[in-house]
Amino acid sequence: MNKGTEKKPGAGEITLTAKGLWKTYGDFEAVKGVDFEVYRGECFGFLGPNGAGKTTTMKMIYGAAVPTTGELKVAGLDARRAERDVKRRIGVVPQENNLDEDLKVEENLLVYGRYFDLPRKVVRQRAAELLEFIQLSERADARVEQLSGGMKRRLLIARALVNDPDLVVLDEPTTGLDPQARHLVWNKLRQLASEGKTLILTTHYMDEAAQLCDRLCIMESGRIISEGTPRDLIEKHVSPEVLEFRASPDILGQLATVVEDVADAVERIGEVLLVYTSDSDSVAHKAKESGILVENTLYRQATLEDVFLKLTGRKLVD
Amino acid sequence: MGTVRIPSPRGAFRVWQRNATVFRKFWKTIMLPNLFEPLLYLAALGLGLGAFIREGGINGLTYTQYVAPGLLASNAMFAASFESTFNTFVRLKIERIYDAIVTTPVNAEDIVAGEYLWAGTRAALYGTGFLAVITALGFAFPSEGLLVSSPWALLIPPVLLLVGIMFSVMGTLFTSLIPSIDLYAYYFTLVVTPLFLFSGIFFPVEGFPAPVPQIAWFTPLYHAVNVCRALATGPSLGVLADLAWIFIFTGALALLPIHLMRKRLIS
Repeated sequence: MNKGTEKKPGAGEITLTAKGLWKTYGDFEAVKGVDFEVYRGECFGFLGPNGAGKTTTMKMIYGAAVPTTGELKVAGLDARRAERDVKRRIGVVPQENNLDEDLKVEENLLVYGRYFDLPRKVVRQRAAELLEFIQLSERADARVEQLSGGMKRRLLIARALVNDPDLVVLDEPTTGLDPQARHLVWNKLRQLASEGKTLILTTHYMDEAAQLCDRLCIMESGRIISEGTPRDLIEKHVSPEVLEFRASPDILGQLATVVEDVADAVERIGEVLLVYTSDSDSVAHKAKESGILVENTLYRQATLEDVFLKLTGRKLVD
Repeated sequence: MGTVRIPSPRGAFRVWQRNATVFRKFWKTIMLPNLFEPLLYLAALGLGLGAFIREGGINGLTYTQYVAPGLLASNAMFAASFESTFNTFVRLKIERIYDAIVTTPVNAEDIVAGEYLWAGTRAALYGTGFLAVITALGFAFPSEGLLVSSPWALLIPPVLLLVGIMFSVMGTLFTSLIPSIDLYAYYFTLVVTPLFLFSGIFFPVEGFPAPVPQIAWFTPLYHAVNVCRALATGPSLGVLADLAWIFIFTGALALLPIHLMRKRLIS
């Protein structure tokens, strides 16, 4: 999508600042004092299990929730005092589809543009460009309910761009989509990022975070427990290499004791033994030497998923 | 936040405009039943029941002349009540349209104000259609007497706008309080239907012993019926008191649903 204007280089410029952001609902503390900064032109991700406070944080940014305490500034404006001006600069892709089903595909963009007081001509042109961008030009006159889940999500993204926002907030942009639709959405988001849009997104897909985010933070129980680039987080929290041994549980126990002294960390999940190390050769060697019969060994690089599971635990969270 | 927010006219207009865009697509299908309903009442009660009260009529009017303007007022009540109950609930909880709007420069308070205006507009549109029909009927059957006989009737559409806004405020108040769409049965059975029956549309409540007329004075449709009937048949100054009642009641209540709906939309 070519808007005809060059993005000014904005490296290092802060688009959003949150300081001690806190949100309670009655007795429930959804967000317990988070601090973060988002720089212009970057994609900043919030990773965390369900109920970690990601969505509440997003809602505070786009004005659907009012912070209990703390400071939130978007483009230098106080999110509480300059509510309307802040919302004017933000585009929102909500977690749940709330397209206007009484309106057709293109009308959704036209009517949404009016909420921003955009001139009719500008909205018409932008709607056409955005439909092109999300590859729905041919469905402009379709009813929203006729669209697939992936198309609806793309339309939500287009709708969030109608006001040419400085900042796009995406709450779980690909949850519930099939792999093809996810890749198409990622593709669009990468395109936006390359055009210099600032993106904030929440996800619980590690691959999504790794694919899209320049920096990210991991939230758990209302707090940010770690923050950095994907590479930083991996380096900081886990060893760079992982060996996965698959064998029957009783053998895995023996194997664990054997490799323990050459590994940085050892973890067992069911029939898999995960060995984190910076020297996978010695681990593999040790394992072979011990003569323990392993069904299957997998060598891989450590990923965000390892970081995430290490920090937030492997227990099931609702 | 504890403070009540005053809506922005521009934001309210945007919400009104959204509803008008949707309405424009379906208006023919939506309006027809609303025109038929009061006509059915007029036929059944005005002509059917009216045949038995031919002698003398009511306050110098034939029964049909008496009933028709009152139905204008109740028609506006029904139009605005449906809009601010079922339709608003669907947009609030089912289609979640308001959730999308509050992330734009249009605030929650603007949404409610826009819905008031829209319900009023709808009431005025239906009422104007019905007014045209009964005016024409009067000319078509002059032996029955003109149903609309005063040029003051031209003021009925703006009055219906006001009446619509009043009932929208009431309906929205109920909407802002209920968790489930099923509870509207209470609103319609306990509020709307009694108002329809006992606000002087079908018989004068003034003739009843106390406290019936006094109670009627405290209810909103009673005043709307008075104004419509007076404008259709030639007004007296008493109309101003009824209008003042409607203004004060609407103004006093309008901010409460705004406050409550904001709490539902912004956590």
